[in-house]
Parts: sequence; structure tokens; C-alpha cells
Amino acid sequence: MKKTIPQYPRILAIAPSSRGFGFALLEGLNVLADWGVKSIKGDKNAGCTAKVAEMIAHYQPDVIVLEDASIKPFNRSARIRALGKRIVTLAERSRVAVRLFPRTQVWQMFFVEGQGTKHAIAEILAKKYPEELGFRLPPKRRPWMSEDYRMDIFDAVALSLVLRRRSTRNRT
Amino acid sequence: MPSPLLPNYLRANRKRLALSQDEVAFLLGTRSGGKVCRYERFVRQPSLETALAYEAIFRRSVSELFPGLYQKVERDVAERAKTLRERRDCKANGQTARKRQALTELAQSLA
Repeated sequence: MKKTIPQYPRILAIAPSSRGFGFALLEGLNVLADWGVKSIKGDKNAGCTAKVAEMIAHYQPDVIVLEDASIKPFNRSARIRALGKRIVTLAERSRVAVRLFPRTQVWQMFFVEGQGTKHAIAEILAKKYPEELGFRLPPKRRPWMSEDYRMDIFDAVALSLVLRRRSTRNRT
Repeated sequence: MPSPLLPNYLRANRKRLALSQDEVAFLLGTRSGGKVCRYERFVRQPSLETALAYEAIFRRSVSELFPGLYQKVERDVAERAKTLRERRDCKANGQTARKRQALTELAQSLA
């Protein structure tokens, strides 16, 4: 059964990556209450699940938001898809609602044509939260560079805002 | 009904200024970041002096830094204002119209 979400829920967004995961906690009227990156060494999925469990216990979110990586064609690795499933199971066991959004839905929220780059989203978010995220905006990635670890934070914030936009739109 | 807010936003504000827990501890005048960590994990509540030091560091009011705690205190004050307004001895002592108005406003605005 789909759990109902209160008005202005406390949203914990998780964006898994090759290093660990980025997270963002949104509450009240778009207050960014916490954000960051957790890097895990060794068994990444077990480490990430343990960290997420700690965060659920600490912040007691109303809802957890993740990227829906199960939509074909898969654009995430098998490990990250497995991690997503483990987090969903963990959230259900902790009685926290879960919402999954495909990447296309995130882009639709930020771009009129529904297509753009992660860096463009990061720039929009850095402008929305200049004090919190402005100085964390990484330089634009060049073809020979690997993705900056800070991008995970922006991915998580974007996911949390998709849910916030949807829940406020449904109530108006 | 909105969810209750977190007890404090100390961690968010520390991250906003890119300060470490040890650096905040130094600014607060404590020895290590352990105490700061406990404040941020909602395990311990800072003293009034520390709360004011936080206000000075982060340039945010105490009610903004401790929104959940403020929300709770505000609700408790509203409840007590309601009780005080209804109290018999209060009426018997010749409660002025001004006092009654103030208590009504307090109970209504914070409810």
C-alpha cells in the first residue's frame, strides 16, 4: 500500500554513485536541513545501507526519494540498482514512504524541453541555494575528467525538489 | 498538517559556512568538537550562552537555529496562555481587559 505523505514532509533524497552516495534533507518550506556525500570503502552496498539506516534513525524522514534505476534501458550499474532495492526494503522496514523518480522526470522539472545536463541542473540549484550549495558547485566537467564527487549532492537535491514540486502541485 | 521541524539546524548552518566541528567548538569556547557533534545529533541541548554564541557565529536568530525546539516551546506557551486565561483566580483578581486580550492573542496566534 502506498503510504500517504503529510503536507511539507521531511524528505531524505539519496543519490547513489560509484563512491557511495549523495544525500539531501529537505523540510518545511524548502529548507535544506542537511546535505553531503558519504564515501564508502569495501562492501559499498552494505556500507551505504548501514549509513542510510543511521540517517533514517537520526532524521526520521517522512519520505525517501531515490532515482528509479529499474527503467529500461538501464543507465545505472547492477550494483547501484541492487543498492536502490536494498534502500527501498530498508525504508519499508522502517515504515518510511518511498518515491522513485526516473531521471527523465528530473530533467522535465528543470528544462522546458526535458533535456539538459547535470551541470546545468547543478547551476540552477546553486542559484536557488547560494549560501548552502554555491561554493560546492564543481567546475564544468571536461571530456577527459571523471565526475566530481560533489555532483552527488546536486543529484540528491534535485530529486528532493521533484517530490516537493509534485506534492505542492497536487495540493493546489 | 505539516511535519514537526528538526530540533536544530546547527549542522546545516555549520556546513553553510564550511566550518568544521572543531572550528565551531573553538569559536564557542569549548575544547573539542565532541560537544558540537552532540548538539548536532540532538543528543544534548546547548546552554543559553552557547545558543547565543551560535547566533553570533551563524548570524541567524536562535529561533531560526532551533526551529523544532522553538515550535515546541511556542506550542507549550500557547497551552499555558489558554490555561491562564481560564483560571478562576485570575478572573477573581480583576483581570484587566488588556491582559485577557494579550492572553487570547497569544493562545490563538500560537495554536
